[in-house]
Formats: sequence, structure tokens, C-alpha cells
Amino acid sequence: MKRPALVAALALIVISLFIVVYRIVSLGYPLTPAEPDYVWTFRFDGMLHGTGRDPLFLLSLPSQEHGQIILEEFIGSGTMNFNLLREYDNRIGVWSGKPNQGGEYISYRASVLFQHKGTDGPVVPPRSSYPYGVTEESIARIEKLTGQWRAMNLSTRIQAVLGFARAGGAGSGNDARLLELDEALEGYDDITRLQLLLAAVNVPARSVEGVDLIQGIVSTTFPWVEAWTGQNWEHIDPERMEIVSSARTFLPLSVGGMSAVRISGGKLSMKRFELTRDVMSRWRVFFERTSRSDRLLDVWSLFRIPPEFQQTFRILLLVPLGALLIALLRNIVGFQTFGIFMPVLMALAFRNTGLVYGLAIFAAIIFIGYLARRYLNRMRLLLVPRMSVLVTLVIFCFLVLALAGNRFGLTQFMAVGLLPFVILAMTIERFFVVVEEHSMRDALETAVGSAAVSVITYLIIQWEVLQITFFVYPELLLFVMGLQILAGRYTGYRLSELIRFRSFRSTGQ
Amino acid sequence: MMAGPFRGLYEAGILGINNRNAEIIMVQNPRSLFPLVDNKVTTKKLAALGDIPTPELYGVIIKHGDVRQFDSIIKDRKSFVVKPARGSGGSGIVLVKEKVKTGLVTESGKTITVPDLLYHIRDILSGIFSLGGQDDHAIIEALIHPDKAFTAVTYRGVPDIRVVVYRGVPIMAMVRLPTAASDGKANLHGGAIGAGIDLNNGLTITAVHKSVIVTHHPDTGNPVSGIQVPHWEKILLMAARSLEMTGLGYVGADMVIDRDRGPLLLELNARPGLAIQMANKAGLLKRIRQVDEAPEDTFATPESRVEWARQNV
Repeated sequence: MKRPALVAALALIVISLFIVVYRIVSLGYPLTPAEPDYVWTFRFDGMLHGTGRDPLFLLSLPSQEHGQIILEEFIGSGTMNFNLLREYDNRIGVWSGKPNQGGEYISYRASVLFQHKGTDGPVVPPRSSYPYGVTEESIARIEKLTGQWRAMNLSTRIQAVLGFARAGGAGSGNDARLLELDEALEGYDDITRLQLLLAAVNVPARSVEGVDLIQGIVSTTFPWVEAWTGQNWEHIDPERMEIVSSARTFLPLSVGGMSAVRISGGKLSMKRFELTRDVMSRWRVFFERTSRSDRLLDVWSLFRIPPEFQQTFRILLLVPLGALLIALLRNIVGFQTFGIFMPVLMALAFRNTGLVYGLAIFAAIIFIGYLARRYLNRMRLLLVPRMSVLVTLVIFCFLVLALAGNRFGLTQFMAVGLLPFVILAMTIERFFVVVEEHSMRDALETAVGSAAVSVITYLIIQWEVLQITFFVYPELLLFVMGLQILAGRYTGYRLSELIRFRSFRSTGQ
Repeated sequence: MMAGPFRGLYEAGILGINNRNAEIIMVQNPRSLFPLVDNKVTTKKLAALGDIPTPELYGVIIKHGDVRQFDSIIKDRKSFVVKPARGSGGSGIVLVKEKVKTGLVTESGKTITVPDLLYHIRDILSGIFSLGGQDDHAIIEALIHPDKAFTAVTYRGVPDIRVVVYRGVPIMAMVRLPTAASDGKANLHGGAIGAGIDLNNGLTITAVHKSVIVTHHPDTGNPVSGIQVPHWEKILLMAARSLEMTGLGYVGADMVIDRDRGPLLLELNARPGLAIQMANKAGLLKRIRQVDEAPEDTFATPESRVEWARQNV
């Protein structure tokens, strides 16, 4: 009796593992596809107008020299010409020529891969230098006034400079030397001031312009200063004159003082920078290389379907895993749940509402529904109309929550529409019947069991590593099916039966 | 083969729910036979063919339009039972013991109005108590007047006897005694007491109440062990005949003992619960293995199977 199931399960597991191993060994798929190596898509869009004569538009582009790897680039220039220039470490995109009458839409898109931690940054320590255009005598004066800082060690030196830059001469207790230093730096902007000070104390520094490495759209780049601290470049926020923690990262566009966006003979009526992070793009990197491959497994890959559908499959692929989990929790542990797949649907809904709000909404709707159901009982409604009343009630609760969410700015409440409302209505009915026939205690136990299983399932399907692994190796579904078959042939005791039949355990025989 | 914490259960021969479902029910009870026991009207008809007595049937209400025939079914009868044909676990059953001016008095002492009861019947027809939620029929049949044997250990309601039958051999039995907590229902989950019965002599042995071993009825205070179940031989035979009657190899036969008509078959259950093991302080799996090793001629007739069970189990 057990054999056919065992054979089928093992066959499925072996087949799936065979395909995975084949992909890794023969097709060169990565062993750990979920490595959190994000690829960023940087986008610039602008609308360029000529003002009498032909405009010239220069945009600093992400560059390999700044420690990133450019995977692919797309340039949109319309009727204009596009050229690529190199300026020190910077790559400059140059749009020139005649724009369209109503303005020329120009764009640039690049996929940028940031290098692994620990390997980034230049290896050769740079030398300090003064910004261009500062007179010799100013330099001499500043060097004299900062002389006592130069003797300190590197990090104290930087802190001393930053402390002065923050407070200025006035904030340092009328120290004559600092007041004079303040005076010597009169007329320079914050960035240049900081660069001058750092150069004077022999700290290599550079000014950089770029954008924050966070997903979103911004309309301008911003400048900052980077100081060499011996191992790598530290980012200094010129607004607050502080070293920014390395947890926050940036995409430098222009290094060395040049403005990232330059324009002559025209104007931009619109410009925006957009950054999106794509976890799977590292995968796409791999697939870019093999995209011209006509090998069966490469052609029949989920990466070939349009990205807007990929997200759905990332989740769908984990639903069987959720179902397996429910099978295990019910048949091996012995959880009681309302219905078999209600917890999976709840877990999917939690993705939109979040765990805490989702559970709270679940509890609130069951509670309100139970009270309503008790009242309905007195009205003697037949089953089907009664269920439709419950569905209406559930939808009405959603409505109230969404309106309240909108009023108080809680988007989680507005996402309630994705909760499985039919399942909720049925759960209310089941809850009521269990209370009536058994007890409130049983009903609550089952409700808690359902919630616990939903939470566990949610945590599993939200696990990005698993999502990616299954996306890359969808044949793992066969593996899951094998485990499901094995779970179906588990005829041993449930953990809950240890408690149920505990009287037999204590007596032994 | 059985390691760790489960060892104790395995050695006691306890049947777990996974094992029951996969190795016993799926093997012994073909899906196609389930309708025979899922619908109590069908069970009654089959029982009549096999000369197994059941409570007298007054009528069956099949459609919502038939609900108005209620009066013509009841006529001037003072007591009756309304139950869903496809109900499980005793849900949806209403016992009416007398009629009064304001309405009907149920077994638990509550008075309900006739419209209340008709509403309940409509609920039954809508399938709220049926296993899969599909439309159902309402059975109206005679109320049982329980035999005196269990009066001392019954709080309202009607005690019933469950016999688990494996391959036609009765392997375990218990009597379910209603308590105040179970609201007069003979439902272990609802708080009734389950008292195991010695298959050989029909005497009650240990009893379990809410999974705790008890010696006395919590409401009446009388001892629950050592009570002789009347008509024991006949009860075992009726249970054993369920195999010929339905073809199902693993059933729970639920019976009541009427003071006038003797044992009556209430229903057969193709998925009998596991709590009976606690009432008997014995494991079903152990007895199932014993039956599987019984000589071939044991299984010839219901009588031979009962005889074997009384001697060997």
C-alpha cells in the first residue's frame, strides 16, 4: 500500500533535483540564486527645448570608474545626436543638434550592478589636492591656521575639521585662531570650504554629485564631499557636516566638482531621475548572457515572460509550499483550522495588509460577524440568503475599514479588499456552528489555529530567498509535490495525539 | 519502528487519526458505499431489509414546500424526534418529549414554538447540518424511551451505545451517557460520559469524561462501571450485521435501547471517532491486528464473528 506513493514521491524528488543539478552543472546556473545582489535601474528623462540656437546637453552617467558595473544602457535621443565623452573619471553623455519644435524627449537608462561588499573602492590611495581656482596665499593662510590639526591622527583630524565646519568660528568660544580661519574661508560655498579644510590637513577629498540609492523619483542631483579615510571614501553630508553611515549608499554621477547636469543654448522643461531596485536582475544578468541561447531550459524559463507577470508567478510558485505546510501542520502536528485552504488565502492577503493589521482585521471581522450571525439566527433566515447577508456584512466591514484607512492614512486598511471575503463569510458561519455545537473554547482554538497556520504560511511565502530559488528552479514544484505525497502517506500519530491520548502514555502498556 | 515520544502510544495499540484515515477507512470503506450510511433514510431502508430494528419512521420532509405537511406527519403524536438525514455528530437533532399549549417541550426542558421547529426543519433542508453543505432531508421519527438500565447514570436525554466493527467483527464498544454539560446529548465532544463495555459480558468498565477517567456520573453521582448492558448479545449481532448490510469494513454502529422495542439501530458511521479508546482504556489498533490474524472461518457469519469477538477480544 505504501510502495506506490513512496516510489512516486521519490521519483518526483529525484527528477526535480536532477533538473536543478543539470542546470547548475551544465548550464552554469548559480548555486545560490537568491544572493542579495541587487541590480539598480537608473533612469533619466528630460524634455529639452532650444532657445534660439541648438542646445547642448551634458549628463554625467554612471561609470565603471566609480566602482559600479554597467550591465546595459539605453539612450533615447529622438532627432538629436548623442555622443559619449570621457572627462577624468566621469563619463558624459552629450546630446546635441536640433530638438523637435515642441521640445525633444531625451532619456537614458542603465542597469547598474554594485560590487560585492569588501571589494569596492579604489585600491590606490589618492593624494590630497586643493580645489581649482584657490589662490596660493589663501592656501598658505589656511594651512598656517590649521597647522595644529595636521599633527593629529587621520580620524581625529577629520572630526576636528568637521567640528569646525559645523560650528564655524563663532561656535568655538571666540578662539582667535578659529575666527581667523573662518574669515579666511569667507566667500567659499560649503562644499569648497570643506574641501579646502580637508586638503589643508592632508586628507584626500573630492566633491561628488549624484543621487541617493533608494527607490524613487527625484528631480535633481545633490552634491556631497567624500574624504579618504585610509581604506575607502567616506561620504560627508555638507548640510550637517557629518560622516554618513555606510549603510546608506549613493549613486555618484559626477566626481571632481563638475555639475552632473549641464546645459547651454537651451532649457529643460522637465527632468527627473528614477531609481528602481530589481532583486532578480542579477538573474537577468545571467540571462542577458544566455538570452540568445536556444537551449531548451533557457527558452522555457520564467525569465522569458514579461516582468509584469513575473511577480505573480513568484508568489504562485510558493502557494504549493504553503499547501504542503498546511498538510504538515494539520496531519503531523494536529492544528485545527477552518477549512483546508483558508489559511493559504489569508496568508496571500496578508501580503497586502501586513501581518499585524491582517490579523487584527481578521479577528475584528470574525468578532463582528459572530455577533451579527447570532442576531441573524433569531431572524430565521435560510442558509443561502443568510450566507449572502454575511458576505454583504464582510464587504461592508471592508468598506468601513477602507474609509477609515483613507481618513487616517493607513494604507493597510485600504488593502482589505484583497482579503478573501467569501472565505471570511464562510469562516464566520463555521465559527458560529462550532460555538453552537461544541463550545466557544473549541471555536476560539480553531480560530487561533487558523491564524497561526496563516502566519507561518505568510512568513514562508514572503521569504525572498525562497521566492527567487523557486523562480529560478520551478522544477522544485515537483520536489514539493513529492513531499506532499509523503505527507499524505504519513500514517503515524499526530503530535496533538500525544496530549489527547496522554492517559495511555503514562500507564505504559 | 516507532521512535521517541510516540512509542508509548504505539505499544498501547492506539489508533491515531492519520492511520485510521489512510490504513483503515481508505482500505475498508470504498467511497462508493459512503452514501449508504451518510443518509439515515437509506440506512433505515437497508436495516429493514436485514431485519435490523430502527426507530419508527413517521415521515421524511424532502422539499421546503413539504414543511407544511409537518402537522399531517405528527398527527396527534405527543413525542417525536426531528433530525437531518445527512447530519453528523448529532448536530441538528431536536428531541420533542411533549406538546404543551405554548409549544413543544424538548428533551432538555426548553419550550420551543412550532414555527421555531419549522424554521429548524427549513435549516435542515437547506443543508446547514449536512456533511458537504448540500440540500438535505428532515427525518421525523419516534422518540426513544430509554431502557431503565442507565437511568441512574443519565442526566436527561437518551444514552446510546457505539460499537466499532472491523471486518464485521465487533472490536470495541462504549455507552455514551448524557450529562448536564452535554445538554442531554450523547455526544462525547459535547461533554457526555463515555463508558467502555467489556465485549464478552456487556458490563461497563472504565469511563471517560472530557478526557479524564471518572468513576461516577458528575450529575447523578452514581457509579458508572459494572452496569450490565441489556440485550448485549443482540446488540453485538446487530452491529456485526452492518457488514452484510452495507459492505463497509469499518463502521461505528450507534444504537439505543428502547424500553419496549429493545436495541434499535440509530445510524452507522463510516468514520467512527477515536475517543472510544479512552473510554475503554484500550487501543483499537491492537484489536484490529488481532482480527486480521483470526482464522478464516471466523468471518463466515455475523454469529461466528460475534462469538470470536466475545472469546478473543
